[in-house]
Amino acid sequence: MGAWRVVGTSVRGASHRRRGLPNQDALRWWPDSGEGPPLAVAIADGHGSARCFRSDVGARLAVETALEVAAATLEGGGADRPPDLAGLEDLVEVLTRRWQAATQAHYLAHPFGPEEVQRLVVEGGAAAQESLAANPLLAYGATLSTVWLGQTFLLYFQLGDGEVLTVSQGGQVGRPLPGDARLFGGQTTSLCAPGAWRDFRIAFQTISAGTSPAVVLLSTDGYPNAFREDAGFLQVGADLLDLIRQEGLDPVAAGLESWLAEATEQGSGDDVTLGLLCHVGALPALLRPPAAAPAAASPPAAAGIAVGAL
Amino acid sequence: MIRRPGGELATRPLHFIWLADCSGSMGSHGKIQALNNAVREAIPHMQRVADENPNAQVLVRVVRFASGAQWHLGQTTPVADFKWDDLKAGGTTDMGAALKLVAGELKIPPMSDRALPPVLVMISDGQPTDDFGKGLDALLGEPWGKKAVRVAIAIGDDADLEVLRRFIAHPEIDPLQANNPEALVRHIRWVSTAVLQAASSPASQTAPAAPAAQPAIGGTVPAGGAGGSVQAPPAPVLAAVAPVAAPGTSADVW
Repeated sequence: MGAWRVVGTSVRGASHRRRGLPNQDALRWWPDSGEGPPLAVAIADGHGSARCFRSDVGARLAVETALEVAAATLEGGGADRPPDLAGLEDLVEVLTRRWQAATQAHYLAHPFGPEEVQRLVVEGGAAAQESLAANPLLAYGATLSTVWLGQTFLLYFQLGDGEVLTVSQGGQVGRPLPGDARLFGGQTTSLCAPGAWRDFRIAFQTISAGTSPAVVLLSTDGYPNAFREDAGFLQVGADLLDLIRQEGLDPVAAGLESWLAEATEQGSGDDVTLGLLCHVGALPALLRPPAAAPAAASPPAAAGIAVGAL
Repeated sequence: MIRRPGGELATRPLHFIWLADCSGSMGSHGKIQALNNAVREAIPHMQRVADENPNAQVLVRVVRFASGAQWHLGQTTPVADFKWDDLKAGGTTDMGAALKLVAGELKIPPMSDRALPPVLVMISDGQPTDDFGKGLDALLGEPWGKKAVRVAIAIGDDADLEVLRRFIAHPEIDPLQANNPEALVRHIRWVSTAVLQAASSPASQTAPAAPAAQPAIGGTVPAGGAGGSVQAPPAPVLAAVAPVAAPGTSADVW
């Protein structure tokens, strides 16, 4: 089917810089070469609220865990055959439980210090302290979006806010995952919630050289929130495909940091992270199409998405 | 340098709406003038906080309610341009009408779903004379009404604290009690600064977990997930920084 590559970057939010907060997003891919298939990319967004004062660690553990599970699934021939759709539920449960185990291990190795507790009480109140005592993993709360590429399929997983977009080889932008009405007004589902695996949204897509997306984008919510209109964010997908065709993937990768920095400065103020999974093997064979308008809001889906109701 | 992908960038709108009781009782003991003075005094502090949070575009409006409810400042006004025109007292206390008026403006559209949760500040010295419950239902029936940061200031002992608690609808937040002009200034300044600061840079809040159900696979959402109940907004932050109610003093005049 041809080669794929992943590139991406993450920038600290403008408001985080002003408030002395770290970048609470995380981005990682597997394998380290960024080439495949098999290939997987994961991004996570630590919540950053008073209760979630270790969410930068939670986000880092989320992408590490996702890629461990991805590698275990895709290695050893796993990338050569379509996945067992019925097993996808088990996969997200395994992923969630491993994240919980990883954060629990971090907590046991690094119990909350007096400064953290004091800051929690000042910023979150007594109720926040009580909720942390009941569930220390709240401190690590984070979202997770991850996309896995096999020889003939793409798997999309998302828990919480952020965006996953596909850009077809014709430049049409779509959302492969169903929406979640709870993700509104700064509220999100989270890995730290009990039974969080039930909140994952999942999509499976069979692909071939002609039907695969040209680009898959994963971003934390700081990126879409930086645009005045949703259409302006969707335009990113079509524009990136044009830029990759005109300039190549490496110059685009080199430009990401300044574009994302501009987005947080002039837009959301939040941390902004973008991962791009690019089907570079398909691009040289394409003629440059006319600029395509971004698809209207929600309907997904690049041609070829095969979704299974399990 | 390659051109930046995507459309126009923009900071996120933050709607800040004052809901002021202008009933006849507000005309007694200088309450309405104290309110006018307190808000006017707070404006520079509000503008300073907005300057410190440039990724939030603070837009101010004012509702007055007495016999009916009207926009006192209906144009969404950037905080840098916000000026306070004196309110005058007279009439009944149609608080429910004020909530319905605001609810109409919190629909999507005209509100954007990328906005920051709006801030609604209710200031009252009495009891509603219209159908408060219907107005509250209208407000909380709008996604942004439900997600709004809702704060209330009770002026004097006759204010209906239970009604204000229902407006706030958060177990950790009580109405602020102002029994003299100094306390009113203090509370107005607090909502203009601490509340505005918290609303300008909110962190994500965790949604309630889905009920036991299958994960959403390609187009299905967990049963009860879409449109399910949502928690209150950044109120925990407010609970932590809210001023502690001061005991009654000899300075109390209301």
